[in-house]
Amino acid sequence: MRGLHAYVLAAAGVCALVYGHLLNPYWMHVAIIAMFYGILAASWSLLAGYAGLFSLGHMAFASLGGYTSALLVQWYRLPIPAGMAAGVVLCTLVGAGIGWICLRMSGPYLAIFTLGFAEIVRITFSTEDEVTGGMAGLHTAPLFRAATDLPYYYTAFGLLVFSLATLAVIARSRWGLFLRALREDEQAAAASGVAVARFRTLAFAVASGFAGLAGGFYAHYVGILTPSVGSLDLMALLVVMAVIGGMERIPTAVGGAFGVEFLQEALRAYGQWRLVLFGLILLGTMRFARNGLLTPAWLQFVRLGEIRGPAPARRGVGQEGSGP
Amino acid sequence: MDYFVLQATNGAIIGVIYALIAVGVTIIFSILKIVNFAHGDLYMLGGYTAYYAITFLGAPPLGALALSMAALFLFGALVERLLLTPLYSERTERKDEYGLLVTFGLAFFLRNTALIVFGPFPLRPRSFVPGVAHLGSLTVTWDRIFAGALGVALIIGLLYFMHRTLWGQALDAVSQSRESAAIVGINPRLFNSLAFAVGAALAAAAGALIAPVYSLAPDMGVLPNIQAYVVVILGGMGSVVGSIVAGILLGEAEGLFTAFFPDPTRALAYTNAFGVLVLMAVLLVRPTGLFGRRHVRME
Amino acid sequence: MTGPGVLVRGAGLVKRFGGIVAVDGVEVSVAEGDLIGLIGPNGSGKTTLVNLLTGHLPPDGGEVFLRGRRVTGAGAHILAALGVGRTFQLTQLFGRMTVLENMLVPGLTQPGSTWEGARQRARRYLEFLNLAHLENQYARNLSGGQQKLLELGRALMLEPTVLFLDEPFAGVHPRLRDELIGRIRDLHRSGRTFVVVDHDMDSILRLARRLIVLARGRTIADGPPDAVRADPAVLAAYAGS
Repeated sequence: MRGLHAYVLAAAGVCALVYGHLLNPYWMHVAIIAMFYGILAASWSLLAGYAGLFSLGHMAFASLGGYTSALLVQWYRLPIPAGMAAGVVLCTLVGAGIGWICLRMSGPYLAIFTLGFAEIVRITFSTEDEVTGGMAGLHTAPLFRAATDLPYYYTAFGLLVFSLATLAVIARSRWGLFLRALREDEQAAAASGVAVARFRTLAFAVASGFAGLAGGFYAHYVGILTPSVGSLDLMALLVVMAVIGGMERIPTAVGGAFGVEFLQEALRAYGQWRLVLFGLILLGTMRFARNGLLTPAWLQFVRLGEIRGPAPARRGVGQEGSGP
Repeated sequence: MDYFVLQATNGAIIGVIYALIAVGVTIIFSILKIVNFAHGDLYMLGGYTAYYAITFLGAPPLGALALSMAALFLFGALVERLLLTPLYSERTERKDEYGLLVTFGLAFFLRNTALIVFGPFPLRPRSFVPGVAHLGSLTVTWDRIFAGALGVALIIGLLYFMHRTLWGQALDAVSQSRESAAIVGINPRLFNSLAFAVGAALAAAAGALIAPVYSLAPDMGVLPNIQAYVVVILGGMGSVVGSIVAGILLGEAEGLFTAFFPDPTRALAYTNAFGVLVLMAVLLVRPTGLFGRRHVRME
Repeated sequence: MTGPGVLVRGAGLVKRFGGIVAVDGVEVSVAEGDLIGLIGPNGSGKTTLVNLLTGHLPPDGGEVFLRGRRVTGAGAHILAALGVGRTFQLTQLFGRMTVLENMLVPGLTQPGSTWEGARQRARRYLEFLNLAHLENQYARNLSGGQQKLLELGRALMLEPTVLFLDEPFAGVHPRLRDELIGRIRDLHRSGRTFVVVDHDMDSILRLARRLIVLARGRTIADGPPDAVRADPAVLAAYAGS
């Protein structure tokens, strides 16, 4: 049956929606946070996995989106969706700006530059505490006033589906092809007619916009916002999530986010050791299964949907990049 | 006025520390062709190793320093063997990205392990040399002077090593051209390990020297990591002397920035941002670093 | 009836790298229907000249014209869209994309292109290059010779009027080289202009109607192969390299 995997995923989504209310508050919160990271991992995957732009500024955009929304709502009494939208717009524009500034930076330099950007954002939010509340935190208006987190659950689900759908459309379009070409060989892409500058900027703009969306939602869900949302620690966790799952494909990146988040909660008793474990898994994944732990499973899963369809793409020799 | 002079002096001392860290990054970059994202955490480990050497082994300051450097030297060699060998294989693609991701992962791992093993609260080893010195109207702690002086001594030692000893010259040769080095009979694999080990040892020295001055915390390496990149990019990726000069200049610039910043309560926070701003400014002007051609892609 | 027009023209092109002048005031005119061999000793600036004419490098001096229109400083992707195709000295394929995807990238940058249309064109070219059976293979798994053919195919997807081939015969098996020469001839016959850079004089001479010789960044000869080969300046340049 063609596209079987799509039906399976859709069914899973429907179940999550319909049975969500059965979750106890703790696990509902975990699910919401997982979806938050899912949006971030998916958008980062477009930037770093598809276009090859390893940005360490992604969480900074999330925090920028969050603070923008929270402050606009606070100062101008805007309805929260408007605040969130403003956050998304700002992040898209700033993201495009960063992408444009970084046009001629490659690999490590881009990473260092975006790391610098993230630190400046964090330091500014932290230091200007009259405006932002600094390390003590900014109290934000809640999106819903309800007895349970269920409305937040549905909202997060909706935002996740929207984000994944949009990102999937981009990834499968010719734009997605061009972004992948950029990662493979920028010079050859240019020689093939790909407007490198335009697509690098576009990748940054889109990814940052989604980060801002996630951040805006988070701000009005959690109720208190601190500069640590944009910290390197959370950025590193995001990288861990995406890479362990598989940063080159959106589904595996999201899978990595869900997996790490749920694992993090399941192993709560082990406290700080969880992060050490994730670090080890990350190192192991990089060293021995570079395209991610979920990728082989995902590829098999997709193949399920192609049994009567056209022949699946023949894989190259072995798993790419595995082993020395 | 005294305030400015004091900041300038402290700036110079910090500059020496930056130079030590940055030289390590440079050496690793020249030989392995990767940017080591875990360098700040090697610096952090060096600081803690010295702390434990002093506190639990009762080691004297110089002994702690030597032990710290030796321990991180071995650790660096181990890391290289375990994680970095794919960089030399034909089958590994996008080696830049691999180096970046793997050292990033290492940094994450080390930082979180340190949080558990050492605890999140700042620690401060006993002073190397207790008390303060009075130079004219300035008051500087002996620890700072000690750090600065030993840092300078280490730098001189390193330069001597690179230019006068056989191993150092070989290291220099490999950094210029792997192929020629292999032809001459130098084993590049050995030198990769040596490069990473030396880089780690230098970072450790920096951490050990500054520990009594600034105290230790598991995340103490985050900002120095960024500052090391500033230095390396300013001084020329691949230039040891450039890193030294740029390191001292950056330290000095930060000191003066702190001194001149109008709002003292914010000065320290924004001083941290200062180095980052310099970095971003440099990258804007020269996206491939100031000496871009030194960055040769591995593929 | 007008004679063949000038497709690409470089006027007074200069390019410096640090202290080295790679291209030193080169005048070159590529006419429609030409099949030019661009040769010269190592380091004479051939690849740099190609980079200048295809928009991969902006010149430090001089101008580039495409069909009379000034395109100096226009990026490579703009010139690609205007019908200037090129291959690279060391094949630069999209390694972890399939052969078909490699072809689709340039195919889909063309305005008004559709996936189906691009796929059809891609398959036609792959047939022409004997690569059709490898459509779903990752490009990096192809043999060296197949990769060179794929790069040619990728350039063809732009429907270029002029193609710059940078060392297409380097390290290529003789049988494949013959096939390559045959393909280039076929394409030339159907109206495409070629500028081929290579050191393989045999292949160049089998193809080229016109030779341009570069030495130390300057044109030292430009004309029919026989005349150029007998030119003392050319002999001197090669002898001295």
